[in-house]
Amino acid sequence: MAYTFDWKLVLGGEYGGWIVQGLATTLKISALAIFCSLALGTLIAVLRLTRMRPLVWFSVAFTEFFRNTPLLVQIFFWYFGSYSVLPEVVNKWLYRQDFEFAAGVIALTVYTAAFIAEDIRSGIFAIPKTQIEASRATGLSFLQSMRFVILPQAFRIIIPPLISQFLNVVKNSSLVMTIGVMDLTYMTRQIESYTFHGFEAFTVATLIYLAISLVVSFTVNIYNKRVLKLIPY
Amino acid sequence: MRKWTGIFAALMALMFAVSTAQAGKLEDIKAKGKLVAGIKDSQQPFGFVDEKTKDIVGFEIDIVKYIADQMGVKLELKPVTSATRIPLLTQGEVDIVAATMTHQKQRESQVDFSITYFMTGQRLLVKKGGDIKSAKDLAGKKVGSAKGSTSEQNMKKAEPDCTVVSFETYPEAFLALKQGKVEAVTTDEAILVGIKYSDDNPDNWDIVGDYISAEPYGLGVVQNDSKFRNYVNQTLMKMWETGEYQKVYAKWFGKDTKNYIPLTWKMELWP
Repeated sequence: MAYTFDWKLVLGGEYGGWIVQGLATTLKISALAIFCSLALGTLIAVLRLTRMRPLVWFSVAFTEFFRNTPLLVQIFFWYFGSYSVLPEVVNKWLYRQDFEFAAGVIALTVYTAAFIAEDIRSGIFAIPKTQIEASRATGLSFLQSMRFVILPQAFRIIIPPLISQFLNVVKNSSLVMTIGVMDLTYMTRQIESYTFHGFEAFTVATLIYLAISLVVSFTVNIYNKRVLKLIPY
Repeated sequence: MRKWTGIFAALMALMFAVSTAQAGKLEDIKAKGKLVAGIKDSQQPFGFVDEKTKDIVGFEIDIVKYIADQMGVKLELKPVTSATRIPLLTQGEVDIVAATMTHQKQRESQVDFSITYFMTGQRLLVKKGGDIKSAKDLAGKKVGSAKGSTSEQNMKKAEPDCTVVSFETYPEAFLALKQGKVEAVTTDEAILVGIKYSDDNPDNWDIVGDYISAEPYGLGVVQNDSKFRNYVNQTLMKMWETGEYQKVYAKWFGKDTKNYIPLTWKMELWP
């Protein structure tokens, strides 16, 4: 009567292959979202510090809106909601592409960028104000002083919270299966419905998520300890 | 490391101990005076919440009701999803699962199935008057389905050059079809009929193509309890032979219903 375990089923053969495919998709979507959200987050953070009102407002609205609504709702918004906003021709073209994947990347990027922007902003605030005044006094423009003086220092300070954001992306990426992206969690669910051996599949997926997270966090920590101290401030 | 292995082993042992505690299911059910059935609560017309009475009703509910009546026990309904139905059954939380579950060989290592109580097949739901007439027309196109079903692999076998997008539930797959994100929705015909008539204008949609696969539904019962399974099988046969099955079928799939599917198959009857 008990649940019978069959680990071989998910560790090799057809179903093992599904897990590997799912893992590849998870890594791809996470890497893309991390890269894009870092860029977008930096931009949003810098906009907030410009003294131009519309840009500041935009930045505040962006951060607060995307930080304070559920990611699942946002994923549905980008995937199903875009239909009514975009013109027919664009929609038709989009749907012939891998729109599920694209909508997933956009949702993850925008959501994470809102958090990253706040982290970066706090990093920038940690740099004494005199530094930006000094760099502006030497004749650098606002953007130049950000690029050469402030941001390089701010990024070092915010590495720990940034790692948490990256790890969140990997875990949050499991939500994109709701719009049919075949990621690791999706494949696990499929194995469950084909074989009824869901326990094994979910255990393997959990361990994989854990392994990815540990690898990312160890790597960045080592970088923090070994490499960063060699670079003089 | 050893400590962790120990804890893990203890947890596993606990799980086994809990689930091996009961003996024969049939005696068990009679002793507690109720049959706990895992059913769907949002799958018209198999198991769904009635808008007026707020009770869970449907074809599968009537099937398990008949079995409970024959046993002389009360029926308790427990809504399950495709992700929860198997753990609930193996742990003994439910005694029987009637949740549009296709009897598949691959699935037999975990539970036992009764004889087929409903026969359907996988087909395609498409926009009326479109180009899609059969699975072959979907080459290079996207097809929607829902997770927890086995429609995806069947579709891939019928037309290898199509992309299957699996949504969380069928209403989302249907929304994707309406928005043109997918060209068709594929799953069991009996479910497609339900989706089609859930729309305000059912006439805009067509169910087309040959059967991509056969989908015999079986009741799920715990593994290795032949006494209980025999009882369930014989009760199903009795239901068919006495004409009760045909009555229930007509109630949910008959001509006057919006889910009209002619009864074209025969239950396996043992002499």
